[in-house]
Amino acid sequence: MLPDKLKKTLEKQIAHTDHPRELVVDAMLALQDHYGYLSDAAVEEAASLLGMSALEVEELATFYTFIYREPVGKYVIHVCDSLICWMDGYESVKNYLCEKLNIEVGGTSTDGLFTLLPVCCIGYCDQAPAMLINRKVYGDLTPEKIDQILEKFRSEA
Amino acid sequence: MPTIIIDDREIEVAPGTKVIEAAEQLGIMIPRFCYHPALGSVGACRVCAVKFLQGPFKGVQMSCMVDAQDDMVVSTTDKEAVAFRKYVIECLMLHHPHDCPVCDAGGHCLLQDMTVSGGHGIRRYLGKKRTYPDQYLGPLIQHEMNRCIHCYRCSRFYQDFGGYHDLGAMQSANQTYFGRFEEGILESPFSGNLIDICPTGVYTDKPSRYFGRRWDYERSPSLCINCSLGCQTVVSCRYRKVVRQEARLSESVNGHFICDRGRYGFFYNSLAQRPRSCIVDDQTTSVDQALAAVKQKLETFADKDRAQAVACAGSTRNSLETLAMVKHVCQTNRWQPPAYFEDAAATYKLKSAISRLEPDLTVSLREIESADFIAVLGADPLNEAPMLALALRQAQRKGATVAVFDPRPIFLPFEFKHLPANLDMIQTDLGALLNAALEPAALKKLDGSAREFYASLATVKQISAARQAEIVALAELLKASQRPIIVCGTEMVRRQTPALAADYALLMQAAGKSVGLFYVMPGANGFAAGLLADEDVSVETLIAGIEKGSIKMLILVESNPLWQFPDRHRLEQALQQLEVLVVMDYINSEVAQKADIFLPTTTLYETGGVYVNQEGRAQGVKPAYQGGIPIAQTGHGDHPPRVYGTEIPGAEPQAAWQLLAHLIGTGQPLTAEDLRAEIWQWLAKIDSGFKALPCVADIQPQGARFFQAPHAAERFLRERPIGGADNDGQLEVMAVEMTFGTEELSADSACLKALAGSPVIFMYSSDAKQLNLTDGDRVSVELNGGAVEARLQVTANMAAGMLIIPRHKDLDWQKMNTDKTFVHKDQIRKLKD
Repeated sequence: MLPDKLKKTLEKQIAHTDHPRELVVDAMLALQDHYGYLSDAAVEEAASLLGMSALEVEELATFYTFIYREPVGKYVIHVCDSLICWMDGYESVKNYLCEKLNIEVGGTSTDGLFTLLPVCCIGYCDQAPAMLINRKVYGDLTPEKIDQILEKFRSEA
Repeated sequence: MPTIIIDDREIEVAPGTKVIEAAEQLGIMIPRFCYHPALGSVGACRVCAVKFLQGPFKGVQMSCMVDAQDDMVVSTTDKEAVAFRKYVIECLMLHHPHDCPVCDAGGHCLLQDMTVSGGHGIRRYLGKKRTYPDQYLGPLIQHEMNRCIHCYRCSRFYQDFGGYHDLGAMQSANQTYFGRFEEGILESPFSGNLIDICPTGVYTDKPSRYFGRRWDYERSPSLCINCSLGCQTVVSCRYRKVVRQEARLSESVNGHFICDRGRYGFFYNSLAQRPRSCIVDDQTTSVDQALAAVKQKLETFADKDRAQAVACAGSTRNSLETLAMVKHVCQTNRWQPPAYFEDAAATYKLKSAISRLEPDLTVSLREIESADFIAVLGADPLNEAPMLALALRQAQRKGATVAVFDPRPIFLPFEFKHLPANLDMIQTDLGALLNAALEPAALKKLDGSAREFYASLATVKQISAARQAEIVALAELLKASQRPIIVCGTEMVRRQTPALAADYALLMQAAGKSVGLFYVMPGANGFAAGLLADEDVSVETLIAGIEKGSIKMLILVESNPLWQFPDRHRLEQALQQLEVLVVMDYINSEVAQKADIFLPTTTLYETGGVYVNQEGRAQGVKPAYQGGIPIAQTGHGDHPPRVYGTEIPGAEPQAAWQLLAHLIGTGQPLTAEDLRAEIWQWLAKIDSGFKALPCVADIQPQGARFFQAPHAAERFLRERPIGGADNDGQLEVMAVEMTFGTEELSADSACLKALAGSPVIFMYSSDAKQLNLTDGDRVSVELNGGAVEARLQVTANMAAGMLIIPRHKDLDWQKMNTDKTFVHKDQIRKLKD
C-alpha cells in the first residue's frame, strides 16, 4: 500500500495538470522509488491515481528502460549499448561487468547489490564507453575504473 | 482534384486521398498490413512501398503516407520497390511460427497472401525465433501472439477507434506484445472485430475454432437481426450449421465493423434444442397433419361472427414477409387485427417516428460519424444498438459534442455529456437547450404552429438550477454547429417523445442547420412492424380480449410474449384461458412449450427475408444454407447415420409466411416465389411506400429506403409537456435492455453468457443513501406481481427517482404493470448475503 503522504503529494501534482496522463512517468518513478521497482500493484495504483487503465500504464512502463517491472538490485547499472560506445569498447566493458558480478545482462548479483541492464544511448558519447549507476554517469570506462567503482558501492552498501 | 499516374494509368482522386487508396480505385492492390481504410495510415509496417518516379517525391516511399498530388508518377512494379517489399516481408516473417496448417486464419490470412505475392518463398533466417506467452481473452477470441507481425491494427482499433483501454501494445521493438495487463475477458463489446482486422492469426474466432477453412464454408451475405440497426454481415455455414459471422463492409450502415452481440448472436439457429418437428397435443406429427389440426380448430370459428375469436401476433423479429402475411391472414379470415408489440404505446410511438422520417431529415448510421453535435434523447446507444455507440465515438473523435438526455446510467466509450433526468424532464431539457441555442431571428420563416411550438419551449430558467449551466454551455456548442443530429429512442420514452424529437429537428432546420434525425427502434423489424400494426392493438389488448372471453384461439408467429411482456402472471393466466394456442417459431421458447399445436419455422439463414432497419432501409437476405439438423447432432459427434434418404434430416421447418398461407382459403398453396410476389402486392396496397421496395431478390447491397407519404400537417401538433409529475417519493421502475443477456436471440448464445454477467438493479446515489443502501447490497424490490431480487448498483450517473432493472435473462423482472410501474421506497428491502 502506498503511504498516505506520497499518495497525497502525487494527487496534488496530478490535480495541477491539465491532462493527468502528462505525469505518468513521474508517478511511475515515484512509485518505483518507494517500492524499489514498479510492482503489479504499483501499476494499478498509478493507473487509479491518473484515471488511466492499468494496461495504458503498463504500455508506458514496459516501454521505458528506467522503469523496472521486476525487482532489481540496490544499484542498477545501465551500460550504454549504443553506437559510439560500441566503437569505444562497449563489448569489453559489458563482458567485464558480467564476469566481475558473475551475472548475465538483465541479471542481479547474488548479494542483491547489482543489476546489469543495457541502455540505448545516455548522451555521454564524449566519455564513451559509459554507464549509469542509479542515474549517475561514469565515463571513459576501463577495467580498473570499473573495479574502483564497484568496490566503492560495495563498501557503501 | 489531383490527377495521378500509377503504373501508367491516370486517375483523378479527391484531395487528401493517399496513393494506396488511389491505386485501389484503379484496382491495384498495393500490399498493406498497418493501413486499414477505417483506421487510416501510420506507416509502421513498410510493406506498401512504391517508387515515385516523378513529382514532389522521389524514390521508394510508403504509399499509405503520401497524399496523391498532381504530376505524380508512381510505379508499384519498379524493381527497387518490389525488392524493398520483398525484404520487408522477409523481415516480418523472421519470427512467424509458420503454423499455418493449424492456424484458423490459414486460407484467409493477409500475411499468407502478402508473403506469396511479395515473392518471399525461401527462409534464410536460421536463428532462434522469438516466442510469447498467450493470454486468455474471454470466450470469443483466441490469442496466439507468436504469429504477430506488429502492425498495430489491433491496438489502434481497440483503443483509438473503439475507445476501450484494456488491450494494447506493451514492451518495445522486437519484444512488442499485444494483449491485456492481465488475462481476462475483453471489456469492449466490439472485440470480435479484432478477428476481422488482424492480418494474420493472432486473434481468431474461438467458438468456431478448428471447425474448417474458409474455403470449406458456404459463405454468404447476411444481416444482423439482434437490434434495429441492421448491420451487414457474412455468415459461414458448414455441415448444416451456421458456424461464424463476420462484418460485411456497408458504406451506409455499419462500415467495416459489427458488435459482439451481432457477431455471436446466431447460435439459436443450430441449437440441439431447436424444435424441428410439429407437435399436436404433445404428439409429434407431420407438417400436413399439424396444419390440418390448426384448420380443424379454425373451422369452429369459421362463421363471420366467431372469426373474431381468433387472434394472431407476430413480433419484431419476423421478416417483412411474415409480418405482411400475419396481417393478410388476419384480414382475409376476419380475425382480430394482428398484434406485433407488447403494448399499444409502442405502436403509437413507432408510427409517429416512421411518419416523421422525412427524406431530408433521415440519416444513416454512417452519416452520424460526420455530425458535429449529437443530442441523444431517451436512448442508451451501447445497450440498445451497440454499433450506434461506435458511430457516435467516430463523430466525437472528429470533434463533435455528444449530449445524452436519458435517465439510465449511460456509459459510452468516449467523453460525452450526460444529463440524466426522468422521462418527462429529458425532453424539457432538450427543448430548453434548443431555446437557448437558436436565434429567434433565424426562425422567422416559421409558420403559425411552428412558431407556437417554438414559443412553448422551456426556457433555461424553467429548468432545474443545477442543470442551467450545463445547458447554457451546450447551447453555445449547438449554436456553432452546422450538422447537428437528434438520436431518439422509441422504446422507453413517453408517447409524444419521438414526434417531439422530429419537431426539434425541424426547428434546427428552420434555423439554417443541416439536421439529421435518427431513431432507435425495438427489434430488427420494428420499423416494418410499426408500419403494419393497427393502432391500439397489442399483446396487451389481446390479453384483455382473452380475459373477457372474446378471444379463444391465439396464433403466435415467431413471437414469445413471455420473454418481454411486463406482467407475466396476467399473461400466463390468459394463455391458460385460451381454447387453442398455436405457436410457430424457430426457437424453443417458453410459450412454444405451452402450445397445443406447434409448427417449427425456418430462420433468416434458411429462408432469407427482408428486414427494414430503424431508418427505413429495407435490406434483403437470401438463404445461407439449405437447413436441417447439424451433422454433429445427427451423428452425436460421430459419423452421421448411414441411412439412405433423399431428404435433409430435420428440414421440416418452413418459413412462417409459407405456413400461414395454408390458413387462407382452400386452394392449392402458391410456390414460395409466387407467394413472395403476392406479398409484395399486398404491401403496396397497405402503404404506397412499399411500391418503391423491390422484392428480396432485387434489393441492392445498400438496401432501399422506405419513406411514407409526407404528413406535413402533423408537424408541431403534439402535446408539449413541460416538467414531470412529482412521484410522491416513489421510484419509477424502468425495465431496460443491456448489450448482452436481454435480447432474445443472442441470449441463446452460450459464448455470450459470461459477458452478460449477473443481473443488477441500478439506483441513484442519494436515493440509495435515503434508504440506507450501499453499492453491492442484495436487495429485494416488491413489484406488483412479487419480489425481484438482485444486487444493487449505486451510481450518481443516472436520474433520481428511478429504479433501473435490466431485463436480464436470469432475472424474473416480469412482475410489473403494463403501464408505468412505481415502487414505494419501503417496498425496497436489503437482504442478507
